[in-house]
Amino acid sequence: MRSFLETYGTAVAGLALTLFFVAFAPNFAAPTNLLNVLKETSFLAILAIGFTLALITSELDLSVAEVASLAAVVTGALIQAGQSSLLAVAAGLLVAFGAGLFNGIAVTRLKVPSLIATLGTAAIAKGFAFMITQGVAFVGRWPAEFTGIARGSMLGLPNLVIWLALVAGGALFLVKCTRTGVHMTATGEADEAARLAGIATGRMKRLGLALSGLLAGVTAVLLTASLSSAAPNMAGDYFLYAIAAVLLGMTMFEPGRANVPGTLVAALTLKVLGNGLVLMGAAYYVQDIVLGLIIIVSVALSATALKKAAFKL
Amino acid sequence: MAPVLSLRGIEKSYGAVAALKGIDLDIGRGEVLAICGDNGAGKSSLVRIISGAQEPSAGAITLDGRTVSFRSPQDALAKGIATIYQDLALAPRLSIVQNVFMGAELTRPLLPFVHILDKRRMEELAKGYLGRLSVAVEDMHRPVERLSGGQRQAVAISRALHWDAQVVIMDEPTAALGVKETALVLDLIRKLNAEGRTVVLISHNMADVTAVATRVAILKSGRKVIDRPVAGLDADGLAHMVMTGKES
Repeated sequence: MRSFLETYGTAVAGLALTLFFVAFAPNFAAPTNLLNVLKETSFLAILAIGFTLALITSELDLSVAEVASLAAVVTGALIQAGQSSLLAVAAGLLVAFGAGLFNGIAVTRLKVPSLIATLGTAAIAKGFAFMITQGVAFVGRWPAEFTGIARGSMLGLPNLVIWLALVAGGALFLVKCTRTGVHMTATGEADEAARLAGIATGRMKRLGLALSGLLAGVTAVLLTASLSSAAPNMAGDYFLYAIAAVLLGMTMFEPGRANVPGTLVAALTLKVLGNGLVLMGAAYYVQDIVLGLIIIVSVALSATALKKAAFKL
Repeated sequence: MAPVLSLRGIEKSYGAVAALKGIDLDIGRGEVLAICGDNGAGKSSLVRIISGAQEPSAGAITLDGRTVSFRSPQDALAKGIATIYQDLALAPRLSIVQNVFMGAELTRPLLPFVHILDKRRMEELAKGYLGRLSVAVEDMHRPVERLSGGQRQAVAISRALHWDAQVVIMDEPTAALGVKETALVLDLIRKLNAEGRTVVLISHNMADVTAVATRVAILKSGRKVIDRPVAGLDADGLAHMVMTGKES
């Protein structure tokens, strides 16, 4: 019983919370509202899955939100300058991937702890984002082929949800079914043992951080296409949410370890919570307070891997 | 008996400190060689050199008559020398299977160019290795941290079996173990030896050495001072030799 609670307790609590809102929050169960929650979850979950992949190798990526904002304005700037959507999207993804790789090199080659290195990258990305936009947001006309990436639907499913399914499925396949994924896990679990077993631990950490950057880029493209705007701070609100999703995710399925299904369920739970609170008339600041509590309690409960990553200064 | 591994004139210096001052050592095929010595005698340096963790400052190593140099523990393992470290080499929260196959996972093709982990085969093989060591663990997915100390050693040895290592170096394998677990590990050493594998045992525990080793090399201040068969020695006599560096 204890083991069931340990493994699924948080997920069950999330389900109970959802049922609570279905019963008591006005309009929560309305199809349009649920669809909105699901779309909002997509942005958050894709960003948080990137963070998860970095944390699986025992490295933090505190730059995800700023890197996403930078990728968004790079994409937006190119599209507004009349470049093709394909080129703009590719450039955004490349910038985000590059930022992640830069994090990886700073951590593995320059030996800067990820807590510090990614904080530095966040500031750099923020600076570049403001430089590109001069502080204002790109708005105006966006080609339908670009906005269609996030807005359309296929087979009755919103595109955003399909993107999330692809990213989550791909990440899960990588971690659970491939040698690379197992090597990433071993690196995060026992760096020295993995190295002695011949695993290229530095390369695994670079990969984790680079993928984290890449998924921040994916989030950025989807956000930009969905909102028809690109601003230098557009993903800022997702920062605490993404961290909370990963940490809350670490309390379920594989307690104490960052894991893709946990992050997914946690992201959904957080978005349900935020939405439900709003619908029940809670003030906007209640969300932040609750988010902070969730972060602290999650780590207290189970996140030993994170403690290890954060304190190896 | 032709030595499987020969060391000639091995020296190792750390700055001005000479840890090894010209060690000659032959390790015969199929023997259990104990390397003993007080703290600071040079045991750890010697083990690091044989296991590929460090390169010697001077001297030559020959494996099966050929001169070799090991660039890394992985390189040594690929050449047939497995080292079982005291505690560093297992990931406590990963499963038995994951630990046995760490860095050497088996895959099967799924699509052209896409290979996925062959979890069933790894589980079967891991079970087989533990079976050969007469260690019964039902659940191959149990995290290593929930195994006893002796069972953990068996998991580490299973990794050496997977690589089919001819020489298995065990660094203080019983250091943190109780009486029953120690007996299990000594039994593991005998089983490895019965398969024809050479075991190099580094130990402070003289009773362990007299129980399983066929030969003992004693180091003192970076030199090999004694190299003789264990037969006829008891733990007290051996301890005296380690302290004095002289055969009494």
